[in-house]
Amino acid sequence: MKIRVVYYHLVTGRKENTLIEFKDVTKKYDGQTALNNLNLTIHDGELFVLVGPSGSGKTTLLRMINQLVKQTTGTIKIDDQDVTKVDIMELRHQIGYVLQAGALFPNMTVEQNAGIQLEQFNWDVREKHDRICELLDKVGLDSKTFLNRMPSELSGGEAQRVGIVRALASQPKFILMDEPFSALDPLSRRQLQELVVKLHKELSTTIVFVTHDMQEAIKLADRLAVIHNGDLLQLGRPREILANPANDFVAEFFDDSTTRSLFLSQVTKTGFGRLQEDGDEPVTLDDSKTIFDWADLLNQHPRQMIIVDDLILEPQDLVAYMAQIGQVD
Amino acid sequence: MNSFTSYIAKNGSALIDSLGQHIFISLIAAIIAIIIAVPLAIALINHRRWGEFVLQVTSVIQTIPSLAVLGLLIPLVGIGTVPAIIALVLYAVMPIFQNTYAGLTNIDPLLIEAADAFGMSRRFKLFRVQIPLAMPMILSGIRIAVVMIIGTATLAALIGGGGLGTYIITGIQTNNNNALIAGAVLSALLAILASWLIKVLAKVSFKKLAVGVAILAALVAGGTIYHEATQPKETITIAGKMGGEPEVLINMYKDLIEADNSKVNVVLKPNFGGTSFLFKGLQSGKIDIYPEFTGTVLQSLVKTPKNVSHNPKTSYKLAKKLLNKQYGLDYLKPMKYQNDYALAVRKSDAKKYDLHNLTDLSRVSTEFTAAFDTDFAQQKDGYPGLKKDYGLDFKSVKIMEPTLRYAALANKKVNVTDAYTTDPQVREYHLVTLKDNKSFFPTYQGAPLMTNQFARSHKGIVKSLNKLSGKITTKQMREMNYQVTVKHKKASVVARQFLVKEGLLTK
Repeated sequence: MKIRVVYYHLVTGRKENTLIEFKDVTKKYDGQTALNNLNLTIHDGELFVLVGPSGSGKTTLLRMINQLVKQTTGTIKIDDQDVTKVDIMELRHQIGYVLQAGALFPNMTVEQNAGIQLEQFNWDVREKHDRICELLDKVGLDSKTFLNRMPSELSGGEAQRVGIVRALASQPKFILMDEPFSALDPLSRRQLQELVVKLHKELSTTIVFVTHDMQEAIKLADRLAVIHNGDLLQLGRPREILANPANDFVAEFFDDSTTRSLFLSQVTKTGFGRLQEDGDEPVTLDDSKTIFDWADLLNQHPRQMIIVDDLILEPQDLVAYMAQIGQVD
Repeated sequence: MNSFTSYIAKNGSALIDSLGQHIFISLIAAIIAIIIAVPLAIALINHRRWGEFVLQVTSVIQTIPSLAVLGLLIPLVGIGTVPAIIALVLYAVMPIFQNTYAGLTNIDPLLIEAADAFGMSRRFKLFRVQIPLAMPMILSGIRIAVVMIIGTATLAALIGGGGLGTYIITGIQTNNNNALIAGAVLSALLAILASWLIKVLAKVSFKKLAVGVAILAALVAGGTIYHEATQPKETITIAGKMGGEPEVLINMYKDLIEADNSKVNVVLKPNFGGTSFLFKGLQSGKIDIYPEFTGTVLQSLVKTPKNVSHNPKTSYKLAKKLLNKQYGLDYLKPMKYQNDYALAVRKSDAKKYDLHNLTDLSRVSTEFTAAFDTDFAQQKDGYPGLKKDYGLDFKSVKIMEPTLRYAALANKKVNVTDAYTTDPQVREYHLVTLKDNKSFFPTYQGAPLMTNQFARSHKGIVKSLNKLSGKITTKQMREMNYQVTVKHKKASVVARQFLVKEGLLTK
């Protein structure tokens, strides 16, 4: 039971303080509505994903948070403060930003790029250097090797890691990520997705993440918002949305065998699991949890068995299941 | 080739002086153009409409011929280095502005978004992101501008700005290919070297570059101040028209004035340009003295009554009177020689047909062929007038480039050409100029021209210049022109030799 408490703490146990609040926000470009009367709350500490097809308005929504785009009507508040009423520089200094494909300044080294905000804040050279080295190592780039490289000498994945370091360097209140991995190859994308989850846990920073890739959304999100044609269609935890799509569009958007196969309900449906016997000490997992949640649990408690839909799943079942869905794909 | 190397050897130090002047003019112009164009482009980054407007304006300036710009600037800022630099700056602003503007406005919008998203201040964004990213474009604009400046700076010589153009213009005027080649090659080499240097400097960091430019600017400013400070108190500027003859004359003026007036420093501006440049320069006080012909005064500078006498004495008196009345200028006493229009024939023909004057020529004109330059063949005071007054009627008349007609005559392609009496080619090809016994041509006697005010306050100088009054025969002048233009002797040397020989100068 103790384990179970710890586990839930990781996913939902945070205090749900409001960090960012959109109230009746509308954005029009030349009369065309890009966002339509949108209301949304993002909690402190969560990894919040805005997902939708391209042109849906999700990036516009993200850019309003740091006022790169200004809303036509409505209010946006951060920590209960109207963003249009605070100094825009000051506002942006508190927000980390990760752009598509890194967007590193080609005239600066990795160290200069990563430390650009610290340079503005007149950090001591030594402290700045130490901070950048620490973060580079944290995102899996050897600081000795990479500090003096130019952006043109980096692979896409490496450049985006530096982009993440740049966003983290000044310890911002939260971080915005605008389709950061869309241009990467699948391997780098997966590695970076894992990195984001890991950093989110370790640093417990709020992250607002925009993507058009629903697999990525499901994999990363604590909560996600589905946006389409400027409307917020549905808001909730991934499994809630998968279980009860608000309309046909949402259902279709997430209707994908690979996605479905990630859920524990699919594991039992595929034929894994046995009935409970005496002496078993399983942890109950809801069938809307994913195999990643299962793997995460096993990572901490390698021998732990779980019970899903009254069926016991052993640790080795995960390996076997994954081998099987791998074959199907 | 041999004559070229000996020319270089003889004029080496003067060439290096001109090269230095050329570099100085170009550098100042380039620095000023950069100081204007780059900040302007930066200021207009977020004002696209104004940016386009400035781009149009600078492009229009670019289309104005440089000579026209120089001409327009003379009444405003005078002659010499200043208008030359202003004209060069006007030309150089366009490529620098255009490239800087393009460089700054074509930065990847994603990078600008990143800069904004990090809350960079305008200054920080400008100096850490925008300028460094636009730097390659800015530098290529500067490179284009500098190469253009170095090329165009050769025109500075036309208005007394000095530089390598002096050699190109002297070369064209006096038919001296060595001078022409030396000037042209050096300015071309300078352009290539400057372009290369900027390319190399492009790899140096921005900070070092800024420090370097600052040091250079300080050195130039210091040098200028030192130069100004060490000039003697009274400086007099004497200019001369294109060609060897005026250069010899103004060198004589300089020698005579400096010999008598120890506190006066004379600055010469030889090959200064056409009559109107000089006349305007004199009126605006940018030059103090220049030698002018009576004929030119009466033909093109002053308003005259209808029938002007062609008698030398009355011509001079009229010119002096009208210059004083209409412009407040003082025209000192003329020298002896006349640089008139004339008709020239070969010595052998003159002997054979016993030709001394134009009346003699009219006897045989139907057997002779003639070569005239375009103006002389067509204007009333040229061949058509001669036809009427002397009854000349040549068998055929060819129209020819002025420079070719002497050679045509010497090579017996024609029998007669138009000529100026002091032209050195008359001596070179052993030609004879025939006397204008009916005074058909206007007379051209040279004399120093200055303002009344200058003449009043510089009595000593007037006295020195009057020593030349009635001196120098047409034959002597022609010989000196021959020495300078054909033999490529230095005008200053020829002038001094004459003055010493005539006892006007000791030593």
